[in-house]
Amino acid sequence: MHLAWGPEEEEFRAELVAFLEANTPAEVLSRSDFAVAIRRAEDTELIPQWARDWQAKLFDHGWMIPGYPPELGGRNATPVQTLVYLEEMASRSVPRSVHFPGYAIVAPTLLEFGTEEQRALAPAAIRGDTVWCIGMSEPNAGSDLAGLQTRAELDGDHFVINGQKVWTSYATEAKLCCCYVRTDPDAAKHRGISMLIVDMSTPGIEIRPLHHLNGQADFAEVFFTDVAVPRKNLVGDLNDGWRLTQGSLAHERAGLWVESVSRLEQTIAGLIGLARRVGVAEDPIVRRRIGEVSERASSLRALGYKGFTSFAQGSSAPEHSYLKLASSELGKALFELGMEIQGPYGPVTDNERSYDSGRWVLGLFMSFANTIAGGSSEIQRNIIAQRVLGLPR
Amino acid sequence: MDFAFTPDQELLRATARGLLARECPPALLRAHIKDLSAADPLWDHLKEFSELGTGPTVDLCVFMEELGFVAAPGPFFASAVLGAPLLDAVDSDLLPKVLSGAQTVTVALAGADGQWVMNAEAGKTFVPEAATVDLVVAVAGDGTVVLLDHPSMRRVETIDTTRPLYEVDASAGGTSIGRIDAATLDEVLAHATVALAAEMVGTARRLLAMTLQYAKDRHQFGVPIGSFQAVQHKLADMSLDVERAWSAVYYAAMTVEVGDDDRHRAVHVAKAAAGEAAKRAAKDGIQIHGGIGYTWEHDLHLFMRRAFASEALLGTTGWHHDRLADLLIN
Repeated sequence: MHLAWGPEEEEFRAELVAFLEANTPAEVLSRSDFAVAIRRAEDTELIPQWARDWQAKLFDHGWMIPGYPPELGGRNATPVQTLVYLEEMASRSVPRSVHFPGYAIVAPTLLEFGTEEQRALAPAAIRGDTVWCIGMSEPNAGSDLAGLQTRAELDGDHFVINGQKVWTSYATEAKLCCCYVRTDPDAAKHRGISMLIVDMSTPGIEIRPLHHLNGQADFAEVFFTDVAVPRKNLVGDLNDGWRLTQGSLAHERAGLWVESVSRLEQTIAGLIGLARRVGVAEDPIVRRRIGEVSERASSLRALGYKGFTSFAQGSSAPEHSYLKLASSELGKALFELGMEIQGPYGPVTDNERSYDSGRWVLGLFMSFANTIAGGSSEIQRNIIAQRVLGLPR
Repeated sequence: MDFAFTPDQELLRATARGLLARECPPALLRAHIKDLSAADPLWDHLKEFSELGTGPTVDLCVFMEELGFVAAPGPFFASAVLGAPLLDAVDSDLLPKVLSGAQTVTVALAGADGQWVMNAEAGKTFVPEAATVDLVVAVAGDGTVVLLDHPSMRRVETIDTTRPLYEVDASAGGTSIGRIDAATLDEVLAHATVALAAEMVGTARRLLAMTLQYAKDRHQFGVPIGSFQAVQHKLADMSLDVERAWSAVYYAAMTVEVGDDDRHRAVHVAKAAAGEAAKRAAKDGIQIHGGIGYTWEHDLHLFMRRAFASEALLGTTGWHHDRLADLLIN
């Protein structure tokens, strides 16, 4: 057991810090407060130009995915160096990209399962030059993803897709889509799925933006009517698509918790500032609640490092589910506490009459998504109970 | 940041686990309820480990976690965890015999309010094992450490039969063996608190393990009750609390061991997280056991008692939350 990182990691961190201090865009620095994760009402563009430039710059300097080689936007960093990278980016609230599907999911999947031609799409996906979306969820396939029904039928050298996807992030901006389709309706549900690369400008695709309950829209419904996709766009083997849903940045997965835990800590710092401004920083109940949430966040950071240790030793660690469950639930509790601290002003969003322009109530509403998306809290508890604790299905 | 045990720590854990599985069954805990000397044969084994009390904090926590798993009775916590570091801090010549296990010691510090902070009161409370140890040392309001001369004492019954607590009258005085300043006393208490938190994680792990096994074995409606989602989700939450408490404890142990600046904050986090884990494991553990867990015959209550009593010792969960707030807000 050791507290500190080694000199190799600290040297790596120093290099990153020097790069960030010289290059972090003003648009990121101007919002480096607890609410950085919350898109502001005045943000009209889903993927603003500064974010595109920043992602490209990170790629060109080998700081986009450090664990990858330079041609893929990295510098062959070790797993521990990658954790240091994620730690430093998170503590400074510096995002790599404002659209995750391309670099975080599509590129690793193509690199692992794609043909040579498909793998060649990865650098632009990581650099952000090509915006991707992922066609997974459907109206009747949410938590039960393998129940997806969008059909693709092989017709000569083309697949023909009919069906509907929903909650498709960045669909309005995306040039390409990694789309999960049912290619064998008679097989067991996990066995009849394939993945196709779909050009979003293909005739027969209709995109309807889907607005969040807070009025913002970064995902959409996508309708497919007789959409023709070349057979060569099949990724991996026919009917072997379920295996591909597991594709993501495996070497980063053990460190992704750093971002959510850092955000929790920054939100707690914001809560303390709020309590001071509201004049309740000496209130014993408020103080105890702040102590409690701080204990939760700190213990999750320790759990994250513990999980990373298991990962670095080569064992598959179950900590991901614990961290996903606990950090998303704690996030909700923090914003709710922020509202509670303001008393009757909790729900006020009027800029001239509210604390922090209503960020706490807006943040609470946005945080509802975090216990649903990416495997709901209930699904995480199922995973813990069945795969970690070995309880019967 | 490395949470892996060294081979020596793995060996210590395996040794402790094997020894305690053999020497500290629930039958011993039951015998100890009526007769405190029932724990003496166990102490003959555990005293060999007394040096851990002033050794590396992580090693001590590894050992304490295993003691918590079996809710071991006896003076290890009082003597090795609380007493030895205090004697060490004042450079007392009583220390070698305590570290060798030849003598046992306990510490009287808290006053009437039960808080483990320096105070001038002669009536000391929550003194563990005062009647079963050889020496009782008290800390006075000016930091003088006094070896009490046959102090009068009274056992205060608590829910926990495994760790007897006493009120000790320090007014008759004794021999001064040195003086400790408030900052050094804080270090002694931080060390003892993280060790107690490790013990509580062990007890929580035991409650979780018993409950998990029961959920797999017990059938109702023709299936194991552990196949019901309502039961599964309770166990998942218990397990989450144990996991994060375990991590918080060993992080704190590492900071205490090297005197890291973050150690006091980390110890408050560890004790509070362990308190939450232990109480949840006890409450949901008995709920999942149903009626059988509510009986005297079932062993569950032995560990549930320890869980609730430890949560209140050396600062409740809420008290540690308040200290965290003091560190963060001021």
